[in-house]
Amino acid sequence: MPTSASASDSSVAVSATLRQSDLLPRLASSDGVVQVKALRELKNRIIGNRTKKLSFIKLGLVPAVADILASKADAGDGRYSDLLIQSAAVVGSFACGFDAGVQAVLDAGVFPSLVRLLSHLDEKVVDAGARSLRMIYQSKLAPKYDFLQQKNMEFLLSLLNSENENVTGLGASIIMHSCETVAEQKALCQAGVLKKLISLLKGSLSQRDASLESLATIIKNNVEAVSEFVGSDSGRALRSVIELTKDRYPRTRLLASVCLIVIRNTCPCYLQDIGIKTKLVYLLLELHDDPGQVGDEASFAFSTLIAGSEDLQKLAFEANAIDKLYNHLQKGALHPKRVEGILLAMAELCSKLDSCRFKFISLKALDLVINGLTQDSAGVRAAACICLKSVSRSIKSLCAGDFMNEMIVIPLVQLLDDSCTSVQLSKSMDSDLRLNALWALRNLMFLADSASKESIFGELEASSLASLVSDSEPLVQEQALALVRNLVDGCVNCIEFVFAENGIILDAVGRHLQSIPKVEIGIQGMYLLCNVASGNEFHKEAVMHQLVPQAENGTQSFMIKFLQSSDSQLRTAAVWTIINLTFPSVPGAFGRLVKLRNTGIISQVKSMVNDPCLEVKLRIRTALAQFMTSDDGSI
Amino acid sequence: MLLFWIVIRQLAEIEAMATSKKVITREEWEKKLNDVKIRKEDMNKLVMNFLVTEGYVEAAEKFRMESGTEPDIDLATITDRMAVKKAVQCGNVEDAIEKVNDLNPEILDTNPQLFFHLQQQRLIELIRNGKVEEALEFAQEELAPRGEENQSFLEELERTVALLAFEDVSNCPVGELLDIQQRLKTASEVNAAILTSQSHEKDPKLPSLLKMLIWAQNQLDEKAAYPRINDLSKAMLEDPAV
Repeated sequence: MPTSASASDSSVAVSATLRQSDLLPRLASSDGVVQVKALRELKNRIIGNRTKKLSFIKLGLVPAVADILASKADAGDGRYSDLLIQSAAVVGSFACGFDAGVQAVLDAGVFPSLVRLLSHLDEKVVDAGARSLRMIYQSKLAPKYDFLQQKNMEFLLSLLNSENENVTGLGASIIMHSCETVAEQKALCQAGVLKKLISLLKGSLSQRDASLESLATIIKNNVEAVSEFVGSDSGRALRSVIELTKDRYPRTRLLASVCLIVIRNTCPCYLQDIGIKTKLVYLLLELHDDPGQVGDEASFAFSTLIAGSEDLQKLAFEANAIDKLYNHLQKGALHPKRVEGILLAMAELCSKLDSCRFKFISLKALDLVINGLTQDSAGVRAAACICLKSVSRSIKSLCAGDFMNEMIVIPLVQLLDDSCTSVQLSKSMDSDLRLNALWALRNLMFLADSASKESIFGELEASSLASLVSDSEPLVQEQALALVRNLVDGCVNCIEFVFAENGIILDAVGRHLQSIPKVEIGIQGMYLLCNVASGNEFHKEAVMHQLVPQAENGTQSFMIKFLQSSDSQLRTAAVWTIINLTFPSVPGAFGRLVKLRNTGIISQVKSMVNDPCLEVKLRIRTALAQFMTSDDGSI
Repeated sequence: MLLFWIVIRQLAEIEAMATSKKVITREEWEKKLNDVKIRKEDMNKLVMNFLVTEGYVEAAEKFRMESGTEPDIDLATITDRMAVKKAVQCGNVEDAIEKVNDLNPEILDTNPQLFFHLQQQRLIELIRNGKVEEALEFAQEELAPRGEENQSFLEELERTVALLAFEDVSNCPVGELLDIQQRLKTASEVNAAILTSQSHEKDPKLPSLLKMLIWAQNQLDEKAAYPRINDLSKAMLEDPAV
């Protein structure tokens, strides 16, 4: 059986090339009958068959079909109906299910022709046009409508008011795709779209689903729109959505619960009763049983339901969510999207409650997550990192050494250098991965023993840590600094890590702190230096080297800026560092004090004696007391 | 449906009472049956729903004229759906696929599993007709790429191609693929998909009501002896064995 990728791909390409050769001239024929026949043949070949779609796109068949549509779209009489129906169907199929197809269709300029079909007299032509446009609107590439423009709003309303189910469905798809800002949400509500969508809740199956989905889009994060919806028909609209969570169709149940989650997350004052919360938790867990798309999407909806809410996470825990998700994950041979969703849901569950984390660890779910770290799908790898990051927040487990094994650390470290796969990854995805891998490692290194630190450092190497510190993404920089901060926390031996390869890490940190894109980076960097400054004489001097500009070229030390920062955490970190540097009764303390005075740092510290932040104030006093001890009267 | 409600109500009553088995005589039972009023129109709707969903278009038309019950779907679409179903049942799968695509091109484009099963059925028919060369080419060109996209498709494909390896297919481990049952399975899958695409429920309501009746009777059996319906096709009450 030749099922290997190369064998079948090439054979498909060859035979398709051989057989399509006559399609192009037939599509361009002046005889309508010949054209219709060619179109039908093309349609039947590509439907359901992505491989063929791609080869026909490459062979340039889309523009040929686009020409037919463009030339006949305005013919109002029935003469060309069949031609238009078949062309629209072909175009719709090319656009179905993958972006390359949508791009080819849009590039061929088909979009305006399809829109013109919507006002055709023949209902079947309208159907075909609306279906194809809906296919296009499944993709992110579809053109956006600006609803703030009157003519676009009128167009949308005409779609929603249509008797034709495919056309109202198209209207809903356009809303889902185009409505992004609060201003657009407002405009839609004012134009009566919300009311129209509510009335479609009573429509056919497909209208109901489309209506639920676009309702969620219009009211999301918009308090006013949510209130309007909840209040409409004296609460009947809300009640019918609640009722739809019991519908016999899983997709409808899912969409209805997503709608309720949006309401709850936007206005926490609604849907507060424990009954409905519990119901949503159980419903979404149960929807995971659906083998198709609904099951894949259920875990994402579940995550948004419990995100950031400790009481919902508790409810979910009591509903055995961890066991249930774990059982799904264990099945294997799952769609990557589903694995990603379940891992993210687990991450959310373990983000706050130790009870969830313990359950997670007791199920040995960690093995599945570790497995996820090395999957082909970048989304799965990122989700596994996030999950690990979340679970590893349990200080008890960290202390128990539950996480410290090479099975976790090595794949995490490899993810940091995910360059072999980055060809397929978008840049943002790439940095997302690095970010979450770092974050997980950072948590793992919190209070870790020195043997673990040695092993992770051996894997990471100083140079790659240094380059992560100088990463292009500020969030990555922050986590890299935090990781190093945890690495050098504790014993003197660990501090040596930043001096590996001629102090490449410390130099990177120092360079980086000269100009920080955000204050969190300053905080992590400063605590890192603070930890180093707690070491021996050599360590302290190295920190001084970073703080005090070597060439006295008049540049101000970043320490002054940090001490003057409006962020009290950054001020605290800076003062702590000075305390460590000027700790008395070690030989070099006085020399450092002098240097710090020369750069103006000491007078800055002295001026902060009444800092508004209590913590800073206390540290400043400690520092001042140390200065007094070392002082020979010259400071 | 009527009986169903009575059984349910009886169940609830007994639940509240003692644990010993209660005996309900035929007279008592029939009296209870007479007390429940069910609208004739609702019964008619159930019948119409069955005829439409199962595709009995002529019967539906006659029933509409006789009872005045309006079908919840355009009867013309039933004819198209039945043509597709029949084509699969007769083994004309390619024809069936073209008909589905004419009806609504979205169905097979958005339902990879159904599309695969139709293509698989097409392969089965080629093998049945001894067109080995053609079967192999078809499997390689049309089905293999789907197998790459989905592990379970690949397994099904391997099972199907295994048919070619046996001299006596009627007596081989994968022989059931050639059975008429396989065609019916595929046909009913297409039928359901078309119904769903028309926003219509894919199963008639009547059979599920009967299932509920059986369930309810079984529940009641544990608590009471009553005139039971044992033969669903006759729907006769049978005296309880006391």
